[in-house]
Amino acid sequence: MDFALTEEQEFFKKMITDAVDRMIVPKAPEIDRKDEFPWELWREFGKLGYLGLRYPEEIGGMNADPVTAMIFYEQVSRGSVGFAQSVIMNVLMGTYFIYRFGSEAMKERCLYPAMRGEKVATMCFTEDQSGSDLSATRTTAVKDGSDWVINGTKMWITNGPIADMATVLATTDRSLGAKGLNFFLVEKGTPGFAPGQVLEKMGCRGTVTGELVFDNVRVPGENLLGTEINKGVDYLGEILDEVRVMTGAMALGISQAAFDEGLEYARKRVAFGKPIGSYQLIRAKFADMASEMEASRLMVYYAAWRIKEKLSSRKEAAMAKMFATETCLKVVDEVTRIWGANGFAQEYNPQRHFRDARFLLYGGGTHEILKDFLGRLIIGKT
Amino acid sequence: MNVVVLAKQVPDAESSIEIKGDGERLEIQQKFATSLFDEFALEEALRIRERHGGRVKVITLGAGKATEVLRTGIAMGADETLLLDHAAFLDGDGYATALALSRAVSKAPCDVVLCGKQAVDDDRGEVGPMVAQFLGLPHVGGVVKLDIAEGKASAESLAEAGREVVEVSLPAVFTVQKGLNEPRVAPITGVMKAMKAQIPKAAPEDLGLDPAEVGRAGSKVQVKRYLAPKKRPPVQIIGGEANDAAREAVRILADVERLI
Repeated sequence: MDFALTEEQEFFKKMITDAVDRMIVPKAPEIDRKDEFPWELWREFGKLGYLGLRYPEEIGGMNADPVTAMIFYEQVSRGSVGFAQSVIMNVLMGTYFIYRFGSEAMKERCLYPAMRGEKVATMCFTEDQSGSDLSATRTTAVKDGSDWVINGTKMWITNGPIADMATVLATTDRSLGAKGLNFFLVEKGTPGFAPGQVLEKMGCRGTVTGELVFDNVRVPGENLLGTEINKGVDYLGEILDEVRVMTGAMALGISQAAFDEGLEYARKRVAFGKPIGSYQLIRAKFADMASEMEASRLMVYYAAWRIKEKLSSRKEAAMAKMFATETCLKVVDEVTRIWGANGFAQEYNPQRHFRDARFLLYGGGTHEILKDFLGRLIIGKT
Repeated sequence: MNVVVLAKQVPDAESSIEIKGDGERLEIQQKFATSLFDEFALEEALRIRERHGGRVKVITLGAGKATEVLRTGIAMGADETLLLDHAAFLDGDGYATALALSRAVSKAPCDVVLCGKQAVDDDRGEVGPMVAQFLGLPHVGGVVKLDIAEGKASAESLAEAGREVVEVSLPAVFTVQKGLNEPRVAPITGVMKAMKAQIPKAAPEDLGLDPAEVGRAGSKVQVKRYLAPKKRPPVQIIGGEANDAAREAVRILADVERLI
């Protein structure tokens, strides 16, 4: 078995690591402290072209495979999760269905500018009363002539309040539950479409997350993103595994950032005349963290490889997401302990990683949902 | 305005390096990077091209992963690359390395040769001036500002009490240092181009050289032994009055640790 990255992937990793170290890492503490969207960084980063990496070269992308994409997600998250969330929304979830189903005119207006960082994209699933339970979606889309009229409110929308375009999950028939769901494109400026409350979060600060309101929003028929009606859940399945593995890659990035901080501290901090890294209990922490991070890495990249090879990946993606996230939560906790009281100070980075890591529990599926799914898959019908 | 950049692959700053044998050799973790000062050279070459047109060529002497230096150059925007890739080139001193590089430079006409003032692994600072000598070209060292005009250049270097400005006719060799520019981050289009690029290679005979003239065989200086630096205690307390302590701290950072 060859677990090595290809030479091209190694080179890509080196380049994106360099870009993150130079452009994002120095700004991460300020992004977190101010909790303001870093527009200047967004524009600079957008100019590099990475926001289009998942799409074909012919339209200005990189045609990156899922493994290469995971390298990108991991490194950007290592730099700043508060920035990475917005970036990754543009790279994948906020633009995928426009790429997949949108007209050329729609792509010109929305997809290509999003790939260049000139526009901000988002995807709207969650509502006040529905997160894991998509079948409880209350946002409706009603056909009116050739148009659709959308009504509802979405919550916890990454990039929502600053988005130029939104891929909105809405139901055409609530009685159908998940089978009545569809994706619609709604663009900024459409009457009735407006941002609502902006949420103040404990972590991932910098990304603007909030509410989006759809009040009799009328969109043309072509804004139904799909070739058939009521196939939204099926279409979602095309990227669900990648979204889960992507969350695992983000967990790897946060873990690595925290781990590196812990390592540097353990080598330099002196207690009782020796660096604290000399003591067994501290060494044990690093042994545990490194082992679990290595396992996480193997799971994440294996799942990504399975997606790339078009092998079934639903189980592996769920496992990778869960394991990498739980590992990350342990790592960020241990690192704040290694830092002692300094781990509690906002002046230093470990507390930021500790706060940022929590969001991983919700994105891509809660672990309660994933465990239930995996348990059913493993045990089978009873 | 054709510019050649000489770039070296060095161990990454975080790679572990151990002295092995009886101090005869180094065991270096396989993590590499482009020598820092050569990055400034590459960036300056690209800026010269943006202002004056022409082409940028990057030349590296090394084996295996040394192609990464050249791919990085392509990703940033270089037009051509050349890897001096042959066992005979390896383990050479500054003289042998400069001889090989100067022959590679001379294969095509150029106006400006740029490289870092020193490689960040051995810090010898020999290759740039020696390349100039082999090519019979003027050399200006430690450049922090470079203005190129038709047929001449004005180069500014740091001097003890200020700055020194030198005017020199082209072609010429300039060794550059920190402060010259801020190297650009490679765009994805550059990264993609670099990932697919075929890197041309040259052996000694391609440069009109005998293997005995280059690498270890052609070296004038041989490394006899490596010695580990004296172990420092992890913490150094700087005592005294605040002003004096601050002055001492800056001296340590600048002259001893060379961090600023």
